[in-house]
Amino acid sequence: MLNNKEYLNKIFQSNKPLIIYKTIGGFDVYTDFKERIVLNSKNFKSFLNIKCNKLNSKIRELNCYVGFFGYELLCENINIKLPKQETLNFYPGLVYKPQTIIKIRKNITIKSLLKDFRKKIPSQKNYNYFYEKKFNLNLNEVQYSNLFKYFSKKIKMGETYQIKICQTYSNKSNIDSVNFFWKLMSINESPESFLIRDKDYSIISCSPEMLIKKKKNTIITKPIAGTLNRTKKMTTKYARSYFKKNEKESKEHNMIVDMERNDLSRICRSGSVKISKLKSVEKYRDLYHYVTEIKGLLKDKTTNHDIISAMMPGGSVIGCPKINTLKLLNSRERLNRNIYTGSFGYINANGDMHFSIIIRSILNFKKRSEISAASGVVIDSKPKKEYKENYIKAKSLLDLFKL
Amino acid sequence: MIYVIDHEDSFTYNLVHLFENFGQTYVSNYFNIDKKKLDACKIIVFSPGPGEPSHYPETQKIYYQYRGLKKIIGICLGYQQILYAEKGQIIPQKKIYHGYQSRIKVLRESLIFKPNKILIGGRYHSLKLKEPFSSKTLKITMRCVETNVAMAIEDTINSVYGFQFHPDSFLTVDGKFLIQKILQA
Repeated sequence: MLNNKEYLNKIFQSNKPLIIYKTIGGFDVYTDFKERIVLNSKNFKSFLNIKCNKLNSKIRELNCYVGFFGYELLCENINIKLPKQETLNFYPGLVYKPQTIIKIRKNITIKSLLKDFRKKIPSQKNYNYFYEKKFNLNLNEVQYSNLFKYFSKKIKMGETYQIKICQTYSNKSNIDSVNFFWKLMSINESPESFLIRDKDYSIISCSPEMLIKKKKNTIITKPIAGTLNRTKKMTTKYARSYFKKNEKESKEHNMIVDMERNDLSRICRSGSVKISKLKSVEKYRDLYHYVTEIKGLLKDKTTNHDIISAMMPGGSVIGCPKINTLKLLNSRERLNRNIYTGSFGYINANGDMHFSIIIRSILNFKKRSEISAASGVVIDSKPKKEYKENYIKAKSLLDLFKL
Repeated sequence: MIYVIDHEDSFTYNLVHLFENFGQTYVSNYFNIDKKKLDACKIIVFSPGPGEPSHYPETQKIYYQYRGLKKIIGICLGYQQILYAEKGQIIPQKKIYHGYQSRIKVLRESLIFKPNKILIGGRYHSLKLKEPFSSKTLKITMRCVETNVAMAIEDTINSVYGFQFHPDSFLTVDGKFLIQKILQA
């Protein structure tokens, strides 16, 4: 019989579908999926409001659906149609119902609804992993600048106040996602990191951004707006004073704070929405972020779907105001965002949920890896700087392909 | 009842929570007006929003229909919508204010706020009122200390009020007080 560690290593080395999710003090691994539901704009609402309420697992940690909602699904959910774009025909959204959870802390503990879960390991095969080191970028600097100028005009006319232009790097590859994920965690572990590995695709993310944390009737969001390229000698103290003094970063951040207060106010009791932590600085491998935490108390009878519709897609990665800015973005972006700026997380049977914004991620599908990054156009931004910022945001992921 | 007309902005519900301090508040999109509720309400609020007043003919109609009959309050785009309906021109400004905190001075013309008082307000606007602007009943009652751009209007005869800045923003100091004063006026 395999012990816990041997079992875990075996499933990592196989191609067994699983999800790894960063949690406080370690990682949770979900596997032995009983259900796998492909979400679309037709079944999304009933999934959230009906199916999620019918969960009844004997093990509390397994009484949930884990998965992701893609960008297009979240747009359609708030009645924003995307025009025809270049697309991989990737899943609009996928959720899984796990029957086994492996908790990686100081020790490894396992809970499972299956008696013989240790035997459920696919036999080893050769998986033909390969990857190119080089990436193609969908927008070069000139194309980016042109788009930037177009959106700057729209800001001058008041049609948007802030808009995030997305760039996508892609290459040919079929990656060993679990291996990539642990490499990523060793260099850039961030609070919302996750991996999904399924038979036909994988997603690896070191997202730092929490969009929804709901426990009973309390809901918290923690938008990020403001990025500083981190050099070796830089201190958090320096970063704090940089953000404070930098008018452009401050204003960009202010706007996102008011927007997220608004989104919470749609579903929260009047007067309950409060800024709980204004403008803190968080440190990552290549950069510093400017972060605010906002809290509210949900109105009675707010459904899962009400919450998702008010909060997603997360405003900080779109721009402001949300609806018109989404329309502007979609009118100009030629490439489908797929998972980028969608959300990953779980919903429990009791309605508690936790979702991040999918950024800093690799989608590996159809022998292709893609990494997207976006930064904001506000009135004072410069195309060259924002272009570079996108590269910095993607860097720790791009670097994985150089090792 | 207070009826908030939402121009699909991402700040509208901050405003709704402010108004809910003072009474039952109903919100709908500008293209999806509940006519019965609009008729029944005592106060109409034009929300902020993207673009310029001419993009929203529906709201212009509502203004003309209820002006003088109900209290009308406009915020940001809503404020510009009132001015546009009163034959003011709304034009781009050189320096754009998105996420700015500005010092705003109350003018002598104000009948509601204490003249010369300095307020701290959060701003999100690309456009502004072209001046000179004149109206028999509508007075400019606040200005930006730095740029002199018009920041508030009062028409106490027809009960029409507006702010270019956002009482709903966390950047504004005591926005609740500003709304309270207008509602009591």
